[in-house]
Amino acid sequence: MVINPYYLQVASFILINILLGLSIYITLSTGQLSLGNAGFMSIGAFTTALLTTKLGLPIFLGVLAGTLLAGLIGLLIGLPTLRLQGVYLAIATLGFGEVVRVLFINWESLTNGAVGIAGIPHLGRTILASLQKSGFSPESLGLKNNEFISLSVFSLLLVITILVVFFFWRLDHSRVGRAFHSIRMDEKAAESMGIDITYYKILTFTQGALLAGFAGTLFAHVTGYISPADFTYHRAVEILVFAVFGGSEIIWGPIFGATFLTMMPELLRALSEYRYIIYGVVLVIMMVFRPQGFIDAPLIDRIIGRKSNENNAA
Amino acid sequence: MLLELKNITKVFGGLAALEDVSFSLAEGEILGLIGPNGAGKTTLFNVVTSFLLPTSGDIKFCGERISSQKSHIITQKGISRTFQNIRLFDQMTVEENVMVGRHCRSRSGVFSSVLRTIDQKKEEAQIKEKTNQLLEMVGLSGYNAYPAISLPYGLQRRVEIARALACEPKLILLDEPVAGMNESETEEIARLIKKILGQGITVLLIEHDMSMVMTVCDRLVVLNFGQKIAEGTPQEIQRNPIVIEAYLGREEN
Repeated sequence: MVINPYYLQVASFILINILLGLSIYITLSTGQLSLGNAGFMSIGAFTTALLTTKLGLPIFLGVLAGTLLAGLIGLLIGLPTLRLQGVYLAIATLGFGEVVRVLFINWESLTNGAVGIAGIPHLGRTILASLQKSGFSPESLGLKNNEFISLSVFSLLLVITILVVFFFWRLDHSRVGRAFHSIRMDEKAAESMGIDITYYKILTFTQGALLAGFAGTLFAHVTGYISPADFTYHRAVEILVFAVFGGSEIIWGPIFGATFLTMMPELLRALSEYRYIIYGVVLVIMMVFRPQGFIDAPLIDRIIGRKSNENNAA
Repeated sequence: MLLELKNITKVFGGLAALEDVSFSLAEGEILGLIGPNGAGKTTLFNVVTSFLLPTSGDIKFCGERISSQKSHIITQKGISRTFQNIRLFDQMTVEENVMVGRHCRSRSGVFSSVLRTIDQKKEEAQIKEKTNQLLEMVGLSGYNAYPAISLPYGLQRRVEIARALACEPKLILLDEPVAGMNESETEEIARLIKKILGQGITVLLIEHDMSMVMTVCDRLVVLNFGQKIAEGTPQEIQRNPIVIEAYLGREEN
């Protein structure tokens, strides 16, 4: 088996992007368009970066703190802004993301400003170091150190992503998920069914912030270096496009969108600068022919539902 | 009295959509709310369910003031409704629509939903069971997995009624349930309304179909230009000169 650190690196970024795509999917599932997820991501990333580099906290605690802080700020931002709807909420949350970014640029004493934070403990290297302490050597698996590092990062992220997808898939298919989607489809009708729409909107907004913050912490420990330039509004739009391109009505949409759109520029690398033109053209074509996104419920039904149709006929 | 409206006024800008409307509903009765288009009937529904706040006046449900409560609290207290222009959840199946109606009578939260605890599974099974009962009651057994919007208009209305019943209301507000239906469909809905009454649920009905209103309702309240112009049994209302004038205009001498 050939383990190529480059492919594993791309695969790891796909997994982080899936988490980001899910973070916007969750807020969209109650019909709210939030562009603040790059901001929450940066809060997670900077929190863990600072805690692990300046205070020397273990990665685990940094990730936990970064995630919770992003969620807490999501809750505080959500309470007043969720009165806004549609494009107004989008603009308000986009503004929030920019405020956070400018804060990180200008708070130089803490964040090094635009230079960013380097030397963040790397997830894979930390795993390797702690295993080596107990006498483990990657060579016993026939791997070089850097191969083992990439593989361990990828495997850990894969497990995390599967757990997160599992969490939100189950949530989607429950009383709570039905409430989310009913709010997205018709807020007034949902309210008249006894659903506390404010509660569920804040819940999804906070969950989205938590997950974006969590993805941010992982991003920091996978790249080892972050700067405010990683979290511009380009990032916010990129995250949104994962969900819009892949489909925002069911959970598989943003997963597909994040995977496809992260892979495409890599696959088209041979075309150098033309690849982003192709990226753009693909997006335009997609929006013309499948405005609901590539994956929607009827498509899933066609893939897995053939059996259930037969059952109905029988 | 189950529902009491006292001097309800609702003003939009300078226009009084409802002016000093008072009436009440006893438990187990069916009251028809009639009046020409624009009389304020749907506005009254929206005020009762707190979609709109009344400019002044008081609403009591089971003796308790509800006029400043949020809509979802009012549903929990036992008032549910259907809409004049059907408002189903478009991308859900028939079954899921009705299951959403069970929301306020169930309680599983985020963690029990993700962990699929024993209580959550039990609750979900009860939700399904109740949903099936309701679909059977409105004559839609076997339609569970159909996308709600794929059904013809008349059946969509029944889904909406089933969804409203899923909230286990004490009082159900039906906003023109037979609008656009033919005679036999209307009769079926009338039978369904009788069934709903038979379960001890009080009904407040907005309807333009007079033959149905006259046969189904115990009492009628007539609105015109936001004011209550008459109240009484269907027979009384039919003979009431003010009502006749509101509907047909005054005869020239």
